[in-house]
Amino acid sequence: MNHLELKKVSKAVFRKVNDTRARTQILSSLDLQVNKGELVTIMGASGSGKSTLLRLINRLSETDSGIILLNGNDIKSHVPMELRRKIGMVFQIPVVFKGSVRDNLVFGIKLWEGNTGIEALSRDTGIPEELLDADASQLSIGEKQRVCIARALAIQPEILLLDEPTSSLDALAAEKVEKLLLGLQKERDMTILWVTHEKEQAARIGGRRLILRDGRLEDYHD
Amino acid sequence: MIEILALALTIILVIISAAYAQKFGIGKEISLAGTRALVQIMILASIILILFEKPLFWSFLVLIAMAAIAGNTTYSRSGKLDRVLSVSIISIAAASLLLLIPFFLMGIFPLEARYIVPTGSILIGNAMNVSSLAIDRYKGEIKNRRSEVEAYLALGAKPELAAAACLRQGILSALIPSIDNMKNLGIVWIPGVMTGMLLGGADPMEAASIQIAIFTSIFAAGMIASSLMLHYSTDSFFTKAAQLREDLE
Repeated sequence: MNHLELKKVSKAVFRKVNDTRARTQILSSLDLQVNKGELVTIMGASGSGKSTLLRLINRLSETDSGIILLNGNDIKSHVPMELRRKIGMVFQIPVVFKGSVRDNLVFGIKLWEGNTGIEALSRDTGIPEELLDADASQLSIGEKQRVCIARALAIQPEILLLDEPTSSLDALAAEKVEKLLLGLQKERDMTILWVTHEKEQAARIGGRRLILRDGRLEDYHD
Repeated sequence: MIEILALALTIILVIISAAYAQKFGIGKEISLAGTRALVQIMILASIILILFEKPLFWSFLVLIAMAAIAGNTTYSRSGKLDRVLSVSIISIAAASLLLLIPFFLMGIFPLEARYIVPTGSILIGNAMNVSSLAIDRYKGEIKNRRSEVEAYLALGAKPELAAAACLRQGILSALIPSIDNMKNLGIVWIPGVMTGMLLGGADPMEAASIQIAIFTSIFAAGMIASSLMLHYSTDSFFTKAAQLREDLE
């Protein structure tokens, strides 16, 4: 049984064109199977629907048709909040919550009454211990993204969706975050779907490479 | 005799203001608004006059109608979101009634239409203003902070928790004018009730005491109405699957 499976998933979005909302079909009968512990990179041009695809998987958006299965069960049979606890997500632009770094990391743990240790988590995600009590809004963008990754990992998701997590970072910070995520994936045998628009990054990351073209996923070969 | 003189003064002022405003191209609007205000206030006076002769039930009926109109105004401000009409009417009516009762329970005012209708209408009107400001700001915060709200949802937070910071900002912003008014009460301006009582020959201490009681009630009614309204309207911004709606205008 696949860990995650998408069958004939379609989605249209409304985009503003000259002050009117135009309907654009971005995913058309898309299929995808992902095994447990697999790393899948998804490439595609801007506006091709990469982010939308991830949002459908943790139900931040709704499919128009098709079915998404998690461990063989339709994701619509899950309570949405519980589904999102199982399928974590890191967004392109890091958004930290008001308060300290520790407040951010503790949020999900308290919400789900988890037992993730903050110190171990910050060490695994490369957040220096002295930063834990710093105001999260004052961090650099690279540090904020680390906080967002740690915050997503704190609730111990089965699957991690990464929506261009390094695109807003400079080359050095991006490389660090990349290494960090790959290390965590190996260490925790985590299923990861990693969206990127950079072919070079996809090649560095490795795993199975797919490209989103005309609303469907195809294998990508150099 | 006094009422005829007051009405004559009003008509003269409307005509002069409209004539002067003509220079800015808004003479017609001023004359129309002035005439409309005059007619509306005379109709209201006639209704209150009729209510004096009717059982108290009718006074409460008039207040319910006022709350319904106020709720509809706030609903329009929300962009006519699902469920917000009933939520705003109930919130405004409940908060106003809650703050109206003590005036009669404690014997500050006798239980008569003369006191019930004006006091109730002040509470309803202010609850409406605060609620309209609050829902407008709440909606704006949710739209502008979509990424933050979705970051909360992505961790498995319920919509109420994901929107909590936006809700707090909505209520705080809506209450700022009332808080500023309260701070400056009696320094920058003498409020309406006290002015009316003084003009009617009341003792200044009595007028001031009643004014401050009404003023704090107005504040509390606004705060309760807007809190209730925003709390119960949160679901209108989300789908049943706890997704932030994409069609928020």
